[in-house]
Amino acid sequence: MTSQQEEPLTIDGRWDIPYRHTAGKAATRFFRELKENRRIVGARCPSCRRVLVPPRGFCERCFVPVDEFVEVEDKGTLTTFTIVYAHFTSLPPPPYCVGIIKLDGADTGLIHYVGGVDLQDMEAAKKAISVGMRLQAIWRDEREGKITDIEYFRPT
Amino acid sequence: MPRRVAIVGVGLTRCSSWRKDVAYPELVYEATSAALQDTGITPNDVDAVVYGCMDPFDGVNAPEKWNVDACAAAGMLNKPYLKISTGGTTGGSTALAAYYHVASGLHDVVLAVASQRVGETLEAQLVLNTAVDPVYERGFGMGAITIAAIQACSHMHAYHSTEEDLALVSVRNHENALNNPFAHLRTKFSVKDALGSPMLSWPLRLSDCCPSSDGACAIVFASEEKARKLARQPSWITGAGQITDNYFAGDRYWYEDWDSLAMLARRVYRLAKIDDPMREFDVAELYNAFTIQEILEYEALGFCEPGKGAEMVRRGVTAMDGQLPVDPSGGVLCTNAIGASGLIRVAEAALQVMGKAGQRQVPNVKKALAHSWGATIGFHTLMVLDREAP
Amino acid sequence: MSSRVCIVGVGQTHHRGPGGNLAYYEIAFDAARAALQDTGLTRGDIDTVLASGWDVLDGRTISDMYLVPAAGGYLKDSAKVADDGILAFAYAYMRIASGAFDTALVMGHGHAEGPTELVSNVTMDPFFYRPLGMSATAALALEACSYAAHYGVSEGQAAAVAEKNRRQGVNNPYAHLRSAITRDQVLASKVVAWPLRELDCRPESVGAVALVLCSEDRAKRIASSWATVEGIGWATSSYYIGATDLWRLDALANAARQAYVMAGIDDPMAELDVAEVHDVTSYHELMAYEGMGWAQEGSGGRLLEEGATSMEGRLPVNPSGGALSTNIGAGTGLLRVAEAALQVTGRADGRQVEARTALAHGVSGLAGSIGQTHGVVILRGR
Repeated sequence: MTSQQEEPLTIDGRWDIPYRHTAGKAATRFFRELKENRRIVGARCPSCRRVLVPPRGFCERCFVPVDEFVEVEDKGTLTTFTIVYAHFTSLPPPPYCVGIIKLDGADTGLIHYVGGVDLQDMEAAKKAISVGMRLQAIWRDEREGKITDIEYFRPT
Repeated sequence: MPRRVAIVGVGLTRCSSWRKDVAYPELVYEATSAALQDTGITPNDVDAVVYGCMDPFDGVNAPEKWNVDACAAAGMLNKPYLKISTGGTTGGSTALAAYYHVASGLHDVVLAVASQRVGETLEAQLVLNTAVDPVYERGFGMGAITIAAIQACSHMHAYHSTEEDLALVSVRNHENALNNPFAHLRTKFSVKDALGSPMLSWPLRLSDCCPSSDGACAIVFASEEKARKLARQPSWITGAGQITDNYFAGDRYWYEDWDSLAMLARRVYRLAKIDDPMREFDVAELYNAFTIQEILEYEALGFCEPGKGAEMVRRGVTAMDGQLPVDPSGGVLCTNAIGASGLIRVAEAALQVMGKAGQRQVPNVKKALAHSWGATIGFHTLMVLDREAP
Repeated sequence: MSSRVCIVGVGQTHHRGPGGNLAYYEIAFDAARAALQDTGLTRGDIDTVLASGWDVLDGRTISDMYLVPAAGGYLKDSAKVADDGILAFAYAYMRIASGAFDTALVMGHGHAEGPTELVSNVTMDPFFYRPLGMSATAALALEACSYAAHYGVSEGQAAAVAEKNRRQGVNNPYAHLRSAITRDQVLASKVVAWPLRELDCRPESVGAVALVLCSEDRAKRIASSWATVEGIGWATSSYYIGATDLWRLDALANAARQAYVMAGIDDPMAELDVAEVHDVTSYHELMAYEGMGWAQEGSGGRLLEEGATSMEGRLPVNPSGGALSTNIGAGTGLLRVAEAALQVTGRADGRQVEARTALAHGVSGLAGSIGQTHGVVILRGR
């Protein structure tokens, strides 16, 4: 036993684990529509008739497969949001605003960025962004079939 | 009807941002040996072990393998061993699993253990981000803080709660933690200090957010026959349950009301025969990882009408000398060893019922409530603890 | 008094190799739907859902956020046992036995989206095991080596397990690998981690399995046949494998003993009609015969050579083809329970043996021989 306090022994660790995630049929269709047709589709449950955005292969309430796709508007209402000012390793550099947008025609909300607003000045940003405001998708000209084919939603 | 089950002993560790004095099995051993000692039993008396933690925060996947022998020598003695992992509700879920181990009739004395070494993860938000759906939602940098910030945004918009209300919650919990030798953050500060702390994700500031903690907890559950022999005042489980809401964060977009918790509360209150939670509970240990969540929890748990949670805070109803003290331990806001935090709520509630909560004891506790939430806020657990058997 | 628990429905996907266009929770959904259809129940009839599996293998922290709704658990009292599905089965059993729940759905899945060996490597402690390249297969190899050396078991004897199970897998319409192999082929296959050769080890399969359990009272009202859980047990082994005898599966012996005592079984070889054993490697099936008390220590190989565990033998083992034919990750132990249930209810198409009493065995093999939890379930058909 030593009488002195010893520095604890540590070992550095890092996980670099590759994965390949399968998107599933519904998501594959959603992203193809974004890329090729510049439009947003949801999936309608045959039982409860909800239009689910983003679309998924089954309705968890009715527990049935869902395969009817319907177009929803690329504009909608901001239901809630936050503006991130802290920097976390490997996450997007701040500031950025992320919110949940209920698109016209959809029954569930879509997570996406709210942009086209100066976020550096927090007081000004809070005045420019509010719950209930109307937003319009800003599409990229070059689209890849990813959620970022929409650059952000801008207040209208 | 399930057979009667009680908590008869508890073990907690000192929590800090990094317990660098111990290797993982030693940290767990600290909690489990304390629980066995508190109960007056040896490893041979333990029939089964349930272990909870979230993978992969600790830098070791499935750490229950590494820690198996620290849990009443479970590996060396080839005990029944089961691992539970359900996000932030892991600790609460682990308590539920231990309860069912005994209620089933298969086991009489069961050790529930939960741990987390968030201190070994150099960036916890990054890990939490991997919980979010990679196909649609992960790219937006969603993590626990952003989801809680969204809850705050919605509640402020719908019910006009304010940043000052959040600061009051923070100040109260930090003051409570001064009485808790196991808590991580034990510093007193003022509302002004809170409102001056840096904004992390509007509207949440540093003072509104939990720390990342290393810690472990162990609880001994027993059948009625064993409980009456092992504890002077067992803490009986009179009602408990868990709920799972949907996974896409956008599906339930009205964040000002915590519907999934309200639903679970109705079910569990019915089991525990609770009609008026405000009057019947003497203390509540709620999973308040972020200040706003405590306010939402009061409303969902029926302590007050929807939208009136902030008023309860302003009136001091949930202070140590209030009508229903909430989080005498300082809650998750002062100590968040994530996978363990839900079990620590149960442990703290049990200590209150057993009259063993030291300086943080609320006088004369007959009924206590323990809560945890998890996932993109759609998971909850609740457990009602009572001085009297059901 | 505990409620008796019965399996009233089974659903599984047609297991296949990696790839395809279904997200992992969609595969789980297919199995859950099949299980409900099998029973004629709806989602509303289920009180509780138990999912299983490992987040890091799924590449999703809190993967039950996806799995539980896919298994019908939306807004229900559900949980995830982060281990092999046979342990989720044990938890579901306890929930029903307690009387707090009446009907449960248990889910096991495997989708091969994550690298199992690397995931198992990060399961090892970073100081003493991980830097040495320890992984599940390496740890299993240590056990196999220890067993073979201690008892003089030959690699030919182990290869015979692979030959038997792959031959039997051909008959299983749900199995992934449905082609027979010979002992010579096994012995000629590449060494993966000595003494384990490629064909001594499991493939990577994609698929899911779901079971519906309920109290006996309910089973009598809703089903015409069911499998009653007569005995159940589970037990784990130590992390410190340097301090234990790796040539014996003591945890399995403990789990089996719990199950036998509960089921009132004194002479398992005589009283069991069929068994589904989790053959994590070919050697491990032989070790399992001994752990279960079917063969003397070291004699597992001889039991197989006698033909006792083939389809025509006294105790057919793995009519389904076992894990060596279909390895759906953490769903594999649960799949053994499903197959055992199908056997005793006469619904094991193509692979049926005459069976009233079956044993199912599953292992949580994420860390190989380390912290290895075995589950044993004994079923009787009605």
